[in-house]
Amino acid sequence: MKKYRSYILYLLLLISLVGCAEKKLLEKVGLTTLIGYDLGNEDNVKTTAVVRQVNTEFQSQVAIITSENETSQGTRTKINRRSSKKIMAGQLRGVLFGEELARKGVGHYVDTLLKHSEMSGSVLLAVVEGQSKSLLEFEYPDIDDIGDHIYKLLEQNIKGEQMISSTLHEVGHDYYSPGRDIAMPILKKDKELIEISGVALFKNGEMVGKLSAKDSFYVKLIRDNYNTGKLEMMIKGDELPSSLMKNPSDRIDLVFDPIKTKKELKLVNQATPEFDLQINVKARLMEIKPYIDVGKPKNVAKLEKAIGKSLSEELSRVIALSQEADSDVFGFGEYYRSTVRHSDLTQEKWHGLYKEMKVNVHVDFTLLRSGIME
Amino acid sequence: MFNKKFKLSSAKKQPAAEGEKSKENEEKTKSTISPLKSVFIKSVGNAVHNSSDLKVKSIHPNLTLIYIDNLVDGEVLKKHIIHDLLGNTSESPENVLSVLSIPNAKLSGEIDGAITGMMDGTVLIHVEGYSQIVLANIPTKESRALSTPENESQVIGSQVGFNESLTTNISLVRRYIKNPDLCNEEIKVGERSNTAVSMLYIKGIASEEMINMLRQRITDIKIDSLLDSSILEQLIDDNSLSIFPQMLLTERPDKLCSELLNGKLGVIVDGSTMAIVAPHSFLEFFQSQEDINLRWQIATFARLLRFSAVVLSIFLTPLYVAALTFHYEVIPQTLLVTLSESRSLVPFPPLFEALLLELIIELLREAGIRLPSKVGQTIGIVGGIVIGTAAVQAGITSNILIIIVALGALASFTTPSYMMGNVIRIIRFPLILLAGYWGFYGIMFGFCFIIIHLLRQTSLGSPYTAPFYPPRVKDWRDSIIRMPLPFTFKRPSNTRPEDEDKYEPGPVNPEKNEQKVE
Repeated sequence: MKKYRSYILYLLLLISLVGCAEKKLLEKVGLTTLIGYDLGNEDNVKTTAVVRQVNTEFQSQVAIITSENETSQGTRTKINRRSSKKIMAGQLRGVLFGEELARKGVGHYVDTLLKHSEMSGSVLLAVVEGQSKSLLEFEYPDIDDIGDHIYKLLEQNIKGEQMISSTLHEVGHDYYSPGRDIAMPILKKDKELIEISGVALFKNGEMVGKLSAKDSFYVKLIRDNYNTGKLEMMIKGDELPSSLMKNPSDRIDLVFDPIKTKKELKLVNQATPEFDLQINVKARLMEIKPYIDVGKPKNVAKLEKAIGKSLSEELSRVIALSQEADSDVFGFGEYYRSTVRHSDLTQEKWHGLYKEMKVNVHVDFTLLRSGIME
Repeated sequence: MFNKKFKLSSAKKQPAAEGEKSKENEEKTKSTISPLKSVFIKSVGNAVHNSSDLKVKSIHPNLTLIYIDNLVDGEVLKKHIIHDLLGNTSESPENVLSVLSIPNAKLSGEIDGAITGMMDGTVLIHVEGYSQIVLANIPTKESRALSTPENESQVIGSQVGFNESLTTNISLVRRYIKNPDLCNEEIKVGERSNTAVSMLYIKGIASEEMINMLRQRITDIKIDSLLDSSILEQLIDDNSLSIFPQMLLTERPDKLCSELLNGKLGVIVDGSTMAIVAPHSFLEFFQSQEDINLRWQIATFARLLRFSAVVLSIFLTPLYVAALTFHYEVIPQTLLVTLSESRSLVPFPPLFEALLLELIIELLREAGIRLPSKVGQTIGIVGGIVIGTAAVQAGITSNILIIIVALGALASFTTPSYMMGNVIRIIRFPLILLAGYWGFYGIMFGFCFIIIHLLRQTSLGSPYTAPFYPPRVKDWRDSIIRMPLPFTFKRPSNTRPEDEDKYEPGPVNPEKNEQKVE
């Protein structure tokens, strides 16, 4: 019997521990799918939560609850007072920041979200032009569940490589590592639809500027590698010899479909600093206007050169724009820190250097195919 | 730990009891056969308490037959013994023996063995004036005809199963393995029932150590009766307190033979349709005899299906309970709406809901076994359709749980061994409770507990979790997958075979087979 005394003790312990775990029964939890943060009165935060309501007889509906308090977690208890179910954030898919709040700084919110154990790392973050409350509260005739809609809108565009990715995990990384700044998509209410209108540039967690939605391609080209992206671009007519075209025009519009890229970054001068950025782009031509005979290898070589040149110019332009805003969303600083010994790079030190940074962009463009005809 | 102690304590008690018994035995063996007819008849009558089926028949005034009526073959008695002895005039047991045309007749001078033999269908032939009798064994051959194995049916392969007769069962095995090395050791178990237990193994393949161990375990049993091999299995396995069976019970002679040829040992009990196979590892319980009959790709697929079915069967319901009680974060967004909608009418917490449904399924299964076969099917339909749909409409359970529970029950029946299938189904209940109280932590705790328990088990001294722990990579060829026959020429090392190779590993595609018929 002595031998079993310890087993009995364990058994008693197990029985007495029953009920110690906090229960979160699915039907008693109000599932928040989207949260919008705005700046309220006197530095308060105004939180708008999209809570999914489960109903057997009808289709599921969403409730949009807004409350204002000093802290973001404080608003949660306030929202709880207006809901029949306990508000939980475990199924959260997206977090929106009003532009006003984003300009004041999102660092605190990113920090709070990361510390929340329920929160998934794949929550998508975005900035809203204007107030997130008005974006969420508007009754869109074609959208049932605004929380689900916004998440799928962002996810679809990120997966299709049309927009830079801004999951909580990535944003947290950008925020905390010196030599890198946050970039997030910007959402805009366009009449009765929601649209991704651009990319917000941050500096030390504060929004300092924006780029157009089209420019997000170039930001992504420098930040990551492409596998499936799509690009519509224009090259000036005088880049190509007019003999190529039947009807010479001053602009040539091109669309490429699956784009594959490989990039190589090299630091050539530590002091200035100066980078060499070599990007190899392989793509398939989808559409070209006006007609150029891409069946001839000579023409293709000329076209590739012109596209490469045009792409480099665009990239330099985008880098210059973000330099102007003083936001290093590309992560040049991180590369600098990892290659220069004892650089002791801090955010301030890098932003001092960043304005003076020079990047020599070189793009090698290869046309894989020009379409398949039967 | 407990098991060892249990065995030790029972072993300690035995010598004292044995001492008394051996004294009695000595007295009995002293009682020799009386040359006087009347005294002899009386002593036999006393030994069987003048049972009414004890028959005494005198052929001559000095020649007496004594037997138990229902145990001897009347036809043989009449045609051979009585017929042979009627013409016989000389009167000595040796003479009687020479006259009898019964193959296994013998002389005996001891009454105890004679009476035990009489219980097995032996006729005692007493000759007046001699203290020796002739024993002629002519038992009745009452046995059920051979039939298909009911619990272990398979599509491809032999369709014969063991029946209740030990001699038939052994002849079935001998018909598969026509080899003088196939040894059959008969041991009597049960002080009152005197049941014949046959230990089968192939000399030169089976490990001597294991043979000795198993023989020791069977002979050490002190029990009054043994009615079935499943009881013997519980008596001789390594840990009788564990929920997992450590020896296989099979009713397929081909399964037993293939395991014997793998170097395992078999035990057949008289009166039982199941043979015991040992040592048997945990993994092997999920391998069917059919796997070797089918082509290797199909067999591998079937095995993978079976193993995933086991995992599903054990963990699906606990995962449902845990996810709905504690971890709503992990439910995919697309499933969330349907899941919460089907749950919204249910008044119980997920734990209670799951337990209720699991109990209903168990109830149906148990009722299905007990009910007469004609009603059984009806009950299956009533249970499946009426209770299932009605429970959802009444709002007692959710649709999704019905699917999960049914799937789990179905999956547990894919296990070829019925004994192991039971374990897989029962082991779910503690896991559901753990999931309901501590969520995923509870499931993980239960899972670790099961794994640790399995790792501690042995089957006839060999590791239960082999070939994965201890890792024996060569045996993986025939584990959850089945490689083609040219690769599986080795016997499983778990049995420690004396001869490791089943056959010469030849080339995968022998050229000699390429002769074409023109």
